[in-house]
Amino acid sequence: MSLAAEPPGGRRISPARAQAVAERVHGPPAAPPVEYEGLVTRTIAFAVDAAIVNLVAALVSVTVGLAASLFDFPDTIKTIVIAIGGVAYLAWTVGYFVVFWSTTGQTPGSRLIRLRVCDADTGRQIRPGRALVRLVVLMISVIPLFAGLWPILVDDRRRGLHDMVAGTVVVGAEPAESGAPAGKPGQAPY
Amino acid sequence: MSDRFDNRDASGAARDAAWLGGWLAGVALRPAVRIARAGGRAAESVTLGTVDLVLESRVAGEVVDRIADSALVQRGVGRALSGPLVEQIGRDLVRYAVLERVAETVLEGDLIDRTATRVLDGPELERVVDHALDSPAMERLVRRVIESKLLDEAVARLLESEELWLLVDEIARSPAVTEAITQQSLGFADQVAGGVRSRSRNVDDWLERKARRALRRAPAPGSDAQ
Repeated sequence: MSLAAEPPGGRRISPARAQAVAERVHGPPAAPPVEYEGLVTRTIAFAVDAAIVNLVAALVSVTVGLAASLFDFPDTIKTIVIAIGGVAYLAWTVGYFVVFWSTTGQTPGSRLIRLRVCDADTGRQIRPGRALVRLVVLMISVIPLFAGLWPILVDDRRRGLHDMVAGTVVVGAEPAESGAPAGKPGQAPY
Repeated sequence: MSDRFDNRDASGAARDAAWLGGWLAGVALRPAVRIARAGGRAAESVTLGTVDLVLESRVAGEVVDRIADSALVQRGVGRALSGPLVEQIGRDLVRYAVLERVAETVLEGDLIDRTATRVLDGPELERVVDHALDSPAMERLVRRVIESKLLDEAVARLLESEELWLLVDEIARSPAVTEAITQQSLGFADQVAGGVRSRSRNVDDWLERKARRALRRAPAPGSDAQ
C-alpha cells in the first residue's frame, strides 16, 4: 500500500502535492488549540518550585550555620554573613526562575504539572530580561492581597498582571509522544 | 683366436636352443593351464553354490538348532565362561586397548553427531516430550517433588548460600534493572502529577466560572460552562 494519495481518477500524486492542493482549497491548517493554564494549576506548580527553592536554601543555610557555630565570630561579621545569605537567597530565587523560564520555559514544578511560560504572540521561549521583568512584577503584584493574580480568573487567556506586563502566557505542555494537542477547541493560539 | 670364436658360437647356440625349448613348452602347456584355471573357477562356483545350498536348507538350520540346544554345547559354553577364558579375554581386551580403539573410532566419526542431530530434529523426541508432559504420571511426579522435603531443603540451602545473594546484588546493580526501577518510579510520579493536573484544571474552570459570574462577564471562549 502506497503512502501517496490516489485521487478517484487513478493518477497518483505525492503527499506533499496533496497537502499543497488541500491547503489551496481549504486554507492553511489550523494551529493546534492552546490551553491556557489557570490559577490553581499554576499555584500548584509554583508551590513545587517554592519547595525546591526553599529546601535547597534551607540545606545550605543549615550547613553554613553548623560550620559557623564552631567558630566565635563577632556580631559585625555575623551581621555581614546574614546579609550575604539574604542576598544569596534572593539571587538563587531570581536565578532559578529566570534561568528556567528563559531556557526551557519550564521550571521543575512546571515540568511536573506540564505547563510552560512562553511569549504571548509567538509561543517561543522568552528572553532573560523579560523573565526577570515577569518575576519582579509577580513579586510586586502579590503584595496587595495577590491582586496581580486575580486577572487570571477573568482574562480570556488567563493572564496575570505579570503576564500582561512581560507579554507572556502560561500554556499546557503535553508530552510530545502523546500526540494529542493540548487545549480546548475554539481557543486562539497564543 | 679361432678357438675362442668357436667357443662363443657353441654357447650362443645352446642359449638359443634353451629359449626355443622353453617357448615350445609354454605353447604346448598353454591349453593345459587354461583348462586348469577353468576347472578351478568351476570348482569355486560349485563350492560356493553348495555352501549356499547348505546354508539355505532346512536341514542345516535344524542341525544348527540342535547343536545349539545340545547339552554338549551348553556344557562347553558353561565351561568356557567358568574357566579362565573370560579373564584371558578381558586381559587381552585391556592389553590391546580394544575398547579404547573402538571408542576412538566411534568418537572420531560423525556417527554421534548424526545420531544426535537425527534425534533432536526428528519428531520422535518432541512426541516423547509431549507425551511425557501430558501424562498424569508427570503431574504426580511434579506434585511429589514440590511436596517433598527435598525441595524445601534445596530452597533452604539456596537461600543460605552466599553466591545467591552475590548474584542478587549483581542483578540489582545491573543497568537494566536500575533503569526499569527508575522508569517505574518516574511513571508513578507522572501518574500522580497527571491526576493532580486534571483535578486542578477542573478547579480552575470552576473558579473561573464563579469569578466571571460574580463580575457578570461572559463565559470564557471554549469553556464548557452552562
